[in-house]
Amino acid sequence: MISYIVRRLLGIIPLLLGITIISFAIIHLAPGKPTVLQESMNPKVSLEVQQRLEKLYGLDKPLYAQYLHWIKMLARFDFGRSYGDGRPVLDKILERIPVTLTINVLSILLILLVAIPLGVRCALKPGSLFDTAATVIVFLFFAAPTFWLALLLMQLFGIQLHWLPISGIKSLDFEYFSFPQKALDLISHLALPVFVSAIGGLAGISRYMRSNMIDTLNQPYIYTARAKGLSERKVVYTHAMRNAVLPIVTILGLSLPGLLGGSVIFESIFALPGIGRLFYEAVMMRDYPLIMAEVVLGALLTMAGNLVADISYAYVDPRIRYKK
Amino acid sequence: MDNLLEIRNLKVQFFLGSRTFAAVNGADLDIRGGETLVLAGESGSGKTVTALSITRMLPPNGAILEGRIRFNGEDVLAMDEESLRGVRGKEIAYIFQEPASYLNPVITVGDQIAEAVMLHQRKTKQEAGREAERLLGLVKIEDPRRVSLDYPHQLSGGMNQRAFIAMSLACRPRLLIADEPTTSLDVTIEAQILALLMELKAALGFSLLFITHNLSIAKRIADRVCVMYRGKVVETAATSELFTSPRHFHTKELIAAYEKIGRI
Amino acid sequence: MMKNKPLAAGLAVIGLFTLIALFAPLISPYDPSVIDQNHLLEAPSRAHPLGTDGLGRDLASRIMFGARISLSIGLIAVGIATALGLLFGSVAGFYGGALDGVIMRFADIMLCFPTFFLILAVVAFMESSIFNIMAIIGLTSWMGPSRLIRGEILSLKEREFIQAERAIGASNGRIIFKHLVPNAIGPVLVNATLGIAGAILLESGLSFLGLGVQPPTPSWGNILIESKSTLGVAWWITVFPGLAILLTILGFNFIAEGLKKVFGYN
Repeated sequence: MISYIVRRLLGIIPLLLGITIISFAIIHLAPGKPTVLQESMNPKVSLEVQQRLEKLYGLDKPLYAQYLHWIKMLARFDFGRSYGDGRPVLDKILERIPVTLTINVLSILLILLVAIPLGVRCALKPGSLFDTAATVIVFLFFAAPTFWLALLLMQLFGIQLHWLPISGIKSLDFEYFSFPQKALDLISHLALPVFVSAIGGLAGISRYMRSNMIDTLNQPYIYTARAKGLSERKVVYTHAMRNAVLPIVTILGLSLPGLLGGSVIFESIFALPGIGRLFYEAVMMRDYPLIMAEVVLGALLTMAGNLVADISYAYVDPRIRYKK
Repeated sequence: MDNLLEIRNLKVQFFLGSRTFAAVNGADLDIRGGETLVLAGESGSGKTVTALSITRMLPPNGAILEGRIRFNGEDVLAMDEESLRGVRGKEIAYIFQEPASYLNPVITVGDQIAEAVMLHQRKTKQEAGREAERLLGLVKIEDPRRVSLDYPHQLSGGMNQRAFIAMSLACRPRLLIADEPTTSLDVTIEAQILALLMELKAALGFSLLFITHNLSIAKRIADRVCVMYRGKVVETAATSELFTSPRHFHTKELIAAYEKIGRI
Repeated sequence: MMKNKPLAAGLAVIGLFTLIALFAPLISPYDPSVIDQNHLLEAPSRAHPLGTDGLGRDLASRIMFGARISLSIGLIAVGIATALGLLFGSVAGFYGGALDGVIMRFADIMLCFPTFFLILAVVAFMESSIFNIMAIIGLTSWMGPSRLIRGEILSLKEREFIQAERAIGASNGRIIFKHLVPNAIGPVLVNATLGIAGAILLESGLSFLGLGVQPPTPSWGNILIESKSTLGVAWWITVFPGLAILLTILGFNFIAEGLKKVFGYN
């Protein structure tokens, strides 16, 4: 286990190097200096801003020196200042994290709560009416673009039924609400975004859980559990589930980049002040330092997520935890 | 002596896509109290399917079409799920060919045995844990306390099979069905496991239904031998009689094969 | 073919969309970019079977022309990704060693970047032409195919006929292209089919955000931009382009399922 973790930690060194090099390359990918490019694309960029940029990227020095300089700043989490309002990029990102984090954590919870039981239920009787119906619905959800589903749901629940608000994270008069009203207000604002961001994962993980469970239920040790005289409930929920659910840990780690990427779309649709919408705004305004900071942080976060998932998996699976 | 188990005219069918396949086609078999019966035959002859039918443990695509299975005077095929579970593990226990894959990989050996103990006996978790360790000692595992905390992948094949036997005997079953339990093991380990089974049988007094394709095992342990061929029991005889005067041509083939191996 | 229902259904849907895309100029009832001030936001009718948009343009015609964009972006982006995947994957799988290490590490690194972030970052300082979008999607999605092809090749490499070929002194290039690639074609095709679906979804999302195909060129994604401001007013603008995307994605998914059957794996 220890040697596995050490090996896995050593493995992130080339990843870190690669992530920074590729991010750095993107900055220099465009023809001409990024500063010049900024100027031509964004008339708001003043000479002062350009000089600041020159300094930020150390553009007067050779490429490797620029890279080292950039890495040094990165190590201090110094991403420079935003073009839009001149505030430090890191501050702008940090204040947006809670919204994105809340929605993603809630949607992961929703995914696990729905997808696992659904997949298991389908696996118990493959080909049954329930399984077929679930398969069709999951397939449809899988094939529909999430932003389109968001639009349909907004139309239905927001405009036709007036049940749920369709944008923002809280009502305008939020400050005057009592605590339960506040809670209800937040929940009603979050309901659609959380559901929409969960859809892809719901479809994927329930399918995965189904096939994994079917596979597990055919394993010899399931026969053993039945031969012992265990009830079918115990066979399924203790012996099979323990095995079938383990790989979900890894899948969740792998789904992180998708969730982050998806947040750009649904935070924009629902006008939620998270890092996805911040990224969208940055792209629209060609706010260079902000874009680069989000790309680098997104990649680092994904890497960290995978690392955590792998180590958790190693911990929950005794075959890796007690490797001989 | 009364029969502990009686199987009459058992017919089992499997569904493979749209086709059906008769795995067992009218098998008859009796097991007497305390005896060792070896069920021999080539692979695909229906031995395992017959064994699984005894407690209705067939996979979902298999079905018992007709026949009668009586265990201890009770009609197994007429039992409801509940009473069937009372038979499985408590009255009739199994051991299988590859213990490592028949043990749950993410539960410790001790917990798996304790689970069997608790299922059919009124015991607390601690008592069941101690019982598991005692059972591991019974199957001659050294340091049962440590082994009970191990996961199957940490143990050798022979150790896993011992642990599996311990689990199967947890509720003192009256019939132990051993489906090729030594086929995946080394010859020396095989001899140890066979000796252990015979010793436990003498001590605990269960009946043993031992399934194998290897007649040399029959010669070593069986009181009587049943030979299966193409879904039917074609010959049943006391062991010595079977080897001296085999009647069915397939029995002769099996004996010839065994003698050939014996010479090498 | 007759017994392979998913394949037949998928091919029928995609075939239909392909025909629509190919013959859009001939079969579309209107010019997709002609503005008609007299027929703004009209509900579906005989004259406009799928209604009109906020500028009075015929929605059916715009969706037909949008099919050209979506299908060609999907096809070409996946063509790029698969070609890169074939190159990287077969080189890594066949030669192994340090080269394999470098290529696969590169794939790992690329996989750390959320694809959508990466694409948006590049779009931020490039003109978002259709060609650029194809290229960017292709260049950011070769990792899956590479890993797949590498895996296939590693397992094929051990098989007898490859070793026999080696024994008689065939060159590496010959072995790669004569034996390994044809053998790996099944999984690659399935992966590519699913990839097309993914690329179409990506493009539609990108265009919906206004960062993909730029108006007035109609794409399914950018037609839907208008749906945000017409929610509750003109349901057809939301429903029909979305259905087109949904059907296309379903179609490619069905083809992939069918191909799995054809090549006999799950």
